[in-house]
Amino acid sequence: MSDPILSIKDLRKTYSNGVQALKGVSFDVKKGEFLVIIGLSGSGKSTLLRCINRLHDPTSGQITFNNSGVKTEIASIQHKNDIRGLRKNVGMIFQHFNLIPRTTVLVNVLMGKLSSVSTLRSILGMFSKADKDDAIKYLNLVGIKEKAHIRADQLSGGQQQRVAIARALTQNPKILLADEPVASLDPATCHVVMDYLKKVNQELGITIICNLHFLSLVRQYATRVIALKDGMLVYEGDPKNIDEAWFEKIYGAGAKEVHIN
Amino acid sequence: MSQKKFELPMRRLVLDGFSFSFLVMVMLFAIFNPTEEQQLNLQFNFNVFIGSFLVGMVISYLLNASGVKTFGEHLFQPDYKKAVENRPMLKTFWGWHFIGFMLLLIIVGVFKTKFSIVELLNEDGFGGAKRLFAGIAEPNWQILPRAVLNMVETIFMAFMATILAIPFAFVFSFASARNIMTGKVSFAIYLALRTFFNVTRSVEAIIWAIIFSVWVGIGPFAGMLALMVHSIASLAKQYSEMVETVSDGPIEGVQSCGATKLQTIWFAIVPQVVLPYISFTVYRWDINVRMATVIGLVGGGGIGTMLVQYQGQAMWQEVGTIIFVIAVVVWIMDQASAYIREALK
Ligand SMILES: Nc1ncnc2c1ncn2[C@@H]1O[C@H](COP(=O)(O)OP(=O)(O)OP(=O)(O)O)[C@@H](O)[C@H]1O
Ligand SMILES: [Mg+2]
Repeated sequence: MSDPILSIKDLRKTYSNGVQALKGVSFDVKKGEFLVIIGLSGSGKSTLLRCINRLHDPTSGQITFNNSGVKTEIASIQHKNDIRGLRKNVGMIFQHFNLIPRTTVLVNVLMGKLSSVSTLRSILGMFSKADKDDAIKYLNLVGIKEKAHIRADQLSGGQQQRVAIARALTQNPKILLADEPVASLDPATCHVVMDYLKKVNQELGITIICNLHFLSLVRQYATRVIALKDGMLVYEGDPKNIDEAWFEKIYGAGAKEVHIN
Repeated sequence: MSQKKFELPMRRLVLDGFSFSFLVMVMLFAIFNPTEEQQLNLQFNFNVFIGSFLVGMVISYLLNASGVKTFGEHLFQPDYKKAVENRPMLKTFWGWHFIGFMLLLIIVGVFKTKFSIVELLNEDGFGGAKRLFAGIAEPNWQILPRAVLNMVETIFMAFMATILAIPFAFVFSFASARNIMTGKVSFAIYLALRTFFNVTRSVEAIIWAIIFSVWVGIGPFAGMLALMVHSIASLAKQYSEMVETVSDGPIEGVQSCGATKLQTIWFAIVPQVVLPYISFTVYRWDINVRMATVIGLVGGGGIGTMLVQYQGQAMWQEVGTIIFVIAVVVWIMDQASAYIREALK
């Protein structure tokens, strides 16, 4: 097997209010896998993802990013421009979609090009033809090309999340981070969105790291699972091997699995 | 249970202390009936004031400590205590404290404004007022064209002041928003700008008009500059308050795409604030038209300057015409700006 695309070592994050969200987490992410992170609310899942694209700054530890042989030490990037460069390679989608209100779907998707267009050109709205074609291409991939000129806040939740996926894909990322991408969607829509993520993973070969709450989804989509508890890694392995005992260890004694479908 | 840090209820003590020292001062004035020279002895009076102020604070502290609730305590107590209040106001100490304080303020107010029913009903003065009203009620329509012309000048004074204030206020609004100015240097800039705008705003537009009419000469340009300065400070404050309430989602969204600070502001924040901005700006224009009228009185040009000329010569019929024109325009502006703001919601 080739080198891992991400290698995380002893990652720690203490927020300014003293909360230790991550207490030394280490794991590798293989290229092309669909890694799912599970764990109770507050176990540090979002913090972990946000350290990877530096929306948060890790307190200590290493996050090594292997971009086809070129290695970057994410945790120690200092300069703003280098963080921008990193984010070009790491896309992210969010629970609440985080699209821009009062703005068309197309412009939202073009945001994916912000890191490669100069500030002045982008503010004047001067995106190139190629950039626009790219945006349309990815809107097409998530099946909502015809919505390009509609305001993003007019779409349904599922459609908004697909716009968010298209936006992230327009960055042409190597890794896609997904922070509970379906937590605010109904069960049916939830599968639509997860299926698009699977498609992105399998057809475009983009590595996905995804926080999820429902184990039924984990079993269906994940190629590998890690579990966090109180900021520490407590499980790493195949989704099919999460049995009752592991479930209790991750979610606490007496917890029951809920099924959606 | 955690040990709560001992804190003096400062707001309560200041209010109670002030009400007590006020009482003491009024009583001293009533008893000694000081001469004007004694009234102007600021140093001495200030010392008496501060002395009784401190005594009042101590009294307030002791009263509240022994379970008697003062007006200051009633006003500034935390919400959870307010919830259990059930006695009628007239059966409480704080109620009488409040009523006594208000009565004292009103009595002093009557003296200070030389309140006089006699003057109000004085034959001569009343006759003058009657002539004035008669004049105003019978406007001289001959000067209407000039009044309209001057009103147009006033409206454009207000319009230009608003338009020219927009770009400055727009840029400054981000530089004086707490959620954008993170980091040490930015925070210093934020504080400096906030202070600067607060000071600028607390100087009334009419004062700015006096300053500018000395600087660039009496006329609409001075009035426009005065309104502009005031508008920049007011708009920047209102705008920046909007910026501080935007939701973080879109900001994170574009930042995760690698946006620079400017791109983040432009793409994630501006779309969230643009409607309120327009709404504030329309309202500001409305306010500026009214202010421009007043500013004219001190030489800011437009209809106000015209008004003050006729008023000086006691030409009440002409004044009536001008008041009519102002009233109509202010009413129209008020309606129009309300409709526009409604449509922008
Ligand atoms: N910006 C922040 N400042 C301070 N503390 C934070 C911040 N963000 C998260 N935390 C704290 O860090 C811990 C981990 O939070 P995190 O959001 O990573 O958990 P999570 O696993 O994503 O939970 P959820 O499933 O509810 O999203 C929590 O105790 C949380 O209160
Ligand atoms: Mg989370």
